[in-house]
Amino acid sequence: VNTSTKTLPEWKRFRFPQSLYKYAALLASLGFVWWSLDVLKIDVERLPGLLERIGDVLARRYWPPDLAHVMQPDFLRAIVDTFQMSYVATVIGLLLAIPLSWFASFNMTPSRRFLYPVCRLFVMTCRSVHEMIWTIILVAVVGFGMLPGTLAMTLFCIGFGGKLMTEAIESVRKGPIEAIRATGAGHLQTFVFAVLPQVRVAWAGIAIYTWDVVFRASTVVGFFGAGGMGHYLRESVQKVESRQVTAIILTIVAIVIVAELTSAWARARIARAVA
Amino acid sequence: VAAVLDLGHHAERIAQLDATRRRARGWRYLRYALIALLVGWSVEAIVVGDTDWSRISVAGVASAAWRFIDFDASILLSLWEPALETVLMATLATLLGALMAIPVAWLGANNISPLGRFTYYVGRVLMTLSRSVHEVVWGLVFVAAVGLGALAGVLAMAVRSIGFISKTVAEAIEDVNKGPVEAMRAVGANRFQVLMFGIVPQVLPVIIGNVIFEWDVNIRRSTIMGLVGAGGLGLALHRQMASYNYGGIATVIFVILLLIVFGEVFSAWARRKVI
Repeated sequence: VNTSTKTLPEWKRFRFPQSLYKYAALLASLGFVWWSLDVLKIDVERLPGLLERIGDVLARRYWPPDLAHVMQPDFLRAIVDTFQMSYVATVIGLLLAIPLSWFASFNMTPSRRFLYPVCRLFVMTCRSVHEMIWTIILVAVVGFGMLPGTLAMTLFCIGFGGKLMTEAIESVRKGPIEAIRATGAGHLQTFVFAVLPQVRVAWAGIAIYTWDVVFRASTVVGFFGAGGMGHYLRESVQKVESRQVTAIILTIVAIVIVAELTSAWARARIARAVA
Repeated sequence: VAAVLDLGHHAERIAQLDATRRRARGWRYLRYALIALLVGWSVEAIVVGDTDWSRISVAGVASAAWRFIDFDASILLSLWEPALETVLMATLATLLGALMAIPVAWLGANNISPLGRFTYYVGRVLMTLSRSVHEVVWGLVFVAAVGLGALAGVLAMAVRSIGFISKTVAEAIEDVNKGPVEAMRAVGANRFQVLMFGIVPQVLPVIIGNVIFEWDVNIRRSTIMGLVGAGGLGLALHRQMASYNYGGIATVIFVILLLIVFGEVFSAWARRKVI
């Protein structure tokens, strides 16, 4: 009866020691942000009103898009080029990624001492280096055109798809593998008859997703000297033809979104067909 | 005799199944043929149509690749500052992207979207838009809008990060445990309180884990932002390329690799700590 008159302390999510840590962490991160802005020479005084200025610049110089530029036959041809590059790179890259992801998976690799680290490192290197750096290197080695773009995308595809495919292999069920092994099957036979049937569906989804990502990247490889739409982007950027740049970027965005929707639809269909 | 009779009984069904299987196989072969045809057409365009083989020789490619081996150690020390800039750009971009991803995730999560279907679709469209534009394109957009410098790179990567972070967070929110949420509603919490104390504590580990993952990806991206005019190692790479110092390019790429390994190790460690 007496307790109701006594006021309870106000509920707080963090009490004394934790709340202190929380504020200290907040203060430290604010300090870090301040220091980074200083190192990066970003002028803090110019930050307020930034959005307004961005909108102003875009509206004044980049609008309306020069749609005639993206309607010329050369550019339409470049769109087809982009598609071809991404397609070939995905098919070849994924074909190469099949054995690589097999060798690079810890549970199924035929040789843990040699093949596993080598292939793992290769896939990791392909993945860690940004696709645009691959493009630059390959353009320097084999010259301008669609070939370096395709090769760079192939490496990117090995890195990106290979990692996902390896993860799929590493999560297979052990039962079928032991059953097939018990019949005296070798490494290849185990892979073909116990692993492939289990990862087939996941790999199909991964393949489509990889194509989607590779296509997105191949729209801009041309910016660094490989073929496709990116080449036109670079020309317009260098000539400061801002309205053409807008038109090209909008075209790229539209095509990529269509590609992404198609890929999402295809993946959903695969998932439904299996379920 | 009984078995034969039984078979006769099912003969029609068996024939039907056979026909279905044959038809399925036919479709499959048609699909393979289509893929092969597309590959053939694209390979032809890349290898025959677009590549001038008279200018590419084994010796030429070998000597072009050999130029990179000439490691230029003299610029190694001067790369310290751009490397720091690269990491800081990635960090700021990830923080900013995570901040901007919060409202997008709130809109795009099916169960808490403020105005039902409509805002849900707005959130989804924002996620797709952010993810489907390549970081090079975002970089060009922001360099155009705010001028050369690190700020453009930070903004570009931040906007590019929104998609991934908000998508994973929205998915985490969608399969949140309903118990705490209902309990809070029952004691009369308003929407904001439910969000802050019922949902956020549940999804916080997912958010932090994904933000760390995105930080790792952003380091990779930030190494190339300089190529389109935002600072960091990309700018150093661009300078070496402009002066045709291939050994210097190799050195910058070596530093980039070191940075990526650092990012990967650090993010793996941090994720283990959090999850």
